Amino acid sequence: MNIDKYLDVIKACRFCFMCRHLAAVGNVTFKESDTPRGRALLLDKVRMDSKNMKNQDYIKTIYEAELSASCRYHCVNHYDEVGLILGARQDIVESGNAPQNIRTVADDLKKVEFTVEGTGDVLYYIDGYTKNHQPEIASAFLQLAGNCKTISGGDCGKALNVLGFAEDASIVNEKFKKAVKASCSSTLVTSCPASYDALKNDFPIDGINVMHSSEYLLSLGSINKPSKSINVYCIDSDYLKNYNNLTAPRELLKSAGYKLDMFGTNLEESYAAGEGAVIYDEICPELMKKLSDRVFELADNPEKDLIITFSPYTKFALKKSKPDFNAISIEEAILKAKGN
Amino acid sequence: MLMSNQNYTYEMLRSELTWVVGEDYVKTDDSDKLGHSIDYYWVPELWHDRGQKGTVPDFIVHPGSAREVSEILKLANNYGIPVIPWGGGSGSQGGALPIYGGIIMDMKRMNKVLSIDPVSMTATVEVGINTQHLEWAVQKAGYSTMHFPASIACATLGGFIAHRGTGVLSTKYGKMEDMIMSMEVVTPTGEIINTLPVPRHASGPDLTQLFLGSEGTLGVVTKATMKIHPIPESRKFHAFLFKNMHEAMAAGAKIMTSRLHPCVIRLYDEPETAKLIKRVLGIDKQGAYLVFGFDGPEKMVDLEMEQASTIAMEQKPEDLGSEMGEAWWEHRYKFFYPPYMFQLPQAFGTLDTVATFSNIENVYWAMKNTVKENFPQATFIGHFSHWYEWGCMLYARFIIDNPPQDPHEAIALYNKIWDMAIRAAIKEGGVINEHHGVGLKLGRMMKDLYGPAFKILQDIKQVLDPNNIMNPGKMGFKGAR
Repeated sequence: MNIDKYLDVIKACRFCFMCRHLAAVGNVTFKESDTPRGRALLLDKVRMDSKNMKNQDYIKTIYEAELSASCRYHCVNHYDEVGLILGARQDIVESGNAPQNIRTVADDLKKVEFTVEGTGDVLYYIDGYTKNHQPEIASAFLQLAGNCKTISGGDCGKALNVLGFAEDASIVNEKFKKAVKASCSSTLVTSCPASYDALKNDFPIDGINVMHSSEYLLSLGSINKPSKSINVYCIDSDYLKNYNNLTAPRELLKSAGYKLDMFGTNLEESYAAGEGAVIYDEICPELMKKLSDRVFELADNPEKDLIITFSPYTKFALKKSKPDFNAISIEEAILKAKGN
Repeated sequence: MLMSNQNYTYEMLRSELTWVVGEDYVKTDDSDKLGHSIDYYWVPELWHDRGQKGTVPDFIVHPGSAREVSEILKLANNYGIPVIPWGGGSGSQGGALPIYGGIIMDMKRMNKVLSIDPVSMTATVEVGINTQHLEWAVQKAGYSTMHFPASIACATLGGFIAHRGTGVLSTKYGKMEDMIMSMEVVTPTGEIINTLPVPRHASGPDLTQLFLGSEGTLGVVTKATMKIHPIPESRKFHAFLFKNMHEAMAAGAKIMTSRLHPCVIRLYDEPETAKLIKRVLGIDKQGAYLVFGFDGPEKMVDLEMEQASTIAMEQKPEDLGSEMGEAWWEHRYKFFYPPYMFQLPQAFGTLDTVATFSNIENVYWAMKNTVKENFPQATFIGHFSHWYEWGCMLYARFIIDNPPQDPHEAIALYNKIWDMAIRAAIKEGGVINEHHGVGLKLGRMMKDLYGPAFKILQDIKQVLDPNNIMNPGKMGFKGAR
């Protein structure tokens, strides 16, 4: 079983409570099982007796994990509780126990057809959330970046990987790689933190420099700061912060004259509404709603505050739950600062 | 298990619970039952580790208000089913384990900060709130609870109230019983009551103190008003290495009896200094490590720090400086993360005991010698934390690296160590315990500890909870029928 590779995590987490305050799903369902401890306990049961892998309650719990990695980031030894869940999901898929709703979503994700358009040295990957729900993010980036090629046509493999369909994820990613190689670009930029993580860590492409849009925009040089700084609240991306420790989004916003206030009560909790699970709105819509509601609850003044979300998914999730929520992406914020 | 899900009565109760709290907040799934069958007590952990089936609750309910708590308790009385309040589940005494099945009343949904009163410096909160979330919320308002326990990230305020918990700054800011001003409590029969709004009065015995530490056996605390504090201008630490624990204890006791006001003193005996201080702080020296800290206006901090250092130096310790003191503060929680914390396959227990300065060293040696003489396979280490004007707490621990594989044998050995060590401590004037509570683990010691006075506690329990639905079998009270 894949979870056997994470025996150290099971042993460390099964009786440990030290990160439960950061268990995003646990904080809205209040369930003991929706914490790294709870999940490690039930996977310990699976490890002891593989028949437990068929337990529908266990499977549901494993797919409800939001994979924010806040707990792993917080842990003094960074035990890989995310890796354990991904291993478990892979075991569930490989043993033929994936629930029907998960298989249906996975089937859709396998249908990809990547196309490259435009001209320029840089290739900009437009992920599914940006393309289908928030074209304004891509539009803002392209206005700021100038001449770029674009690639789109589906998920680059991250979502399938996160659902436990590792082989299918590799197949899809090979198609993506082929399209990237054919574009002859050496720099690949994306606004999607999950895709950034996939291309940087899960499926790196030889000879291709992968950048998050904030890194790329920062590399373009200084932006004329407005005379008066604007106070904004930032909602971090799990993939940029907890998975990649990327500080570029904040640096970019500061360079554009924004004054960054702390959203909520702390910088440790995930407010990304399930971004780590990539397509959480499709597999756990009720939980996405609950996670979004917690964000609204923690906002100082949800009617008036300007919130900058570092992930297109998060912006989508929050706006889906509360359409008038005043959230914009990094790209839109920079465009705004430039007076466009 | 009192109920069987094969029985239609089970469905009757489930319907009634659902009517009270809503479908989303009545759970019966295997995943959550497993999570609620194990807390931070070594015995259920071992039971799980050895592949044994633990006792799980029949239902897990998440009430959203005192009224819902009240309705649930009335239902439980009707059905004659136990109710076990559950906060973060991180108690070390088995106090929240559903040993007879029944309803786990998980309080985490009641997690709101209701108000902050900057004039009286109090916060009124629902007690299901995670204490780290509480501290963050209070800090955002510009204050602090000054409650910094190792379990800050795991436990709820209600959990701390249930067993009179404490944090590392207890020496200045007190334990939970000093921090709580007043409470809303739902009694076992479902009445919603409030204790008096101030903690000091002459209007009869104090009901706040009656419910504090009752571990869910006398009712369910739903709301509390607690003290909050300004963020201190300065907080400083200093560490010393004494030749032995006795000299360090003399220094610590003198600091307290001189009526200085440190926020923290912590003294590690020689074995724990060699084992844990070395591992966590990297100090590889023989002796007893002692750290103290002061906070408040900087001038006062510096003055008290100077006085305390002068007292410490009378014993001629090695001065480790402020750096090694600050390092302790910075890493104060690290001791409790894996792999720094003891973990299975080791058997381990915290023999938490509190005594006066006159007795505390005798208590230490009585327990240490008992463990050493009777259980040569066990290591005994200890530190002294939570110092008061009259004494301090001994956080003694025993560790067995390879306990028996058979779970029954392992638990028998484990219990025997507790039985002998704790009784030796009680004989020397030690009290079990200072902040972990009694729970399932130490219930059998309550008669030894209290003597004839225990009957008063039993009578109170009987009057308040005539059907014995509240957390039966804990704190030495009788179990479910």
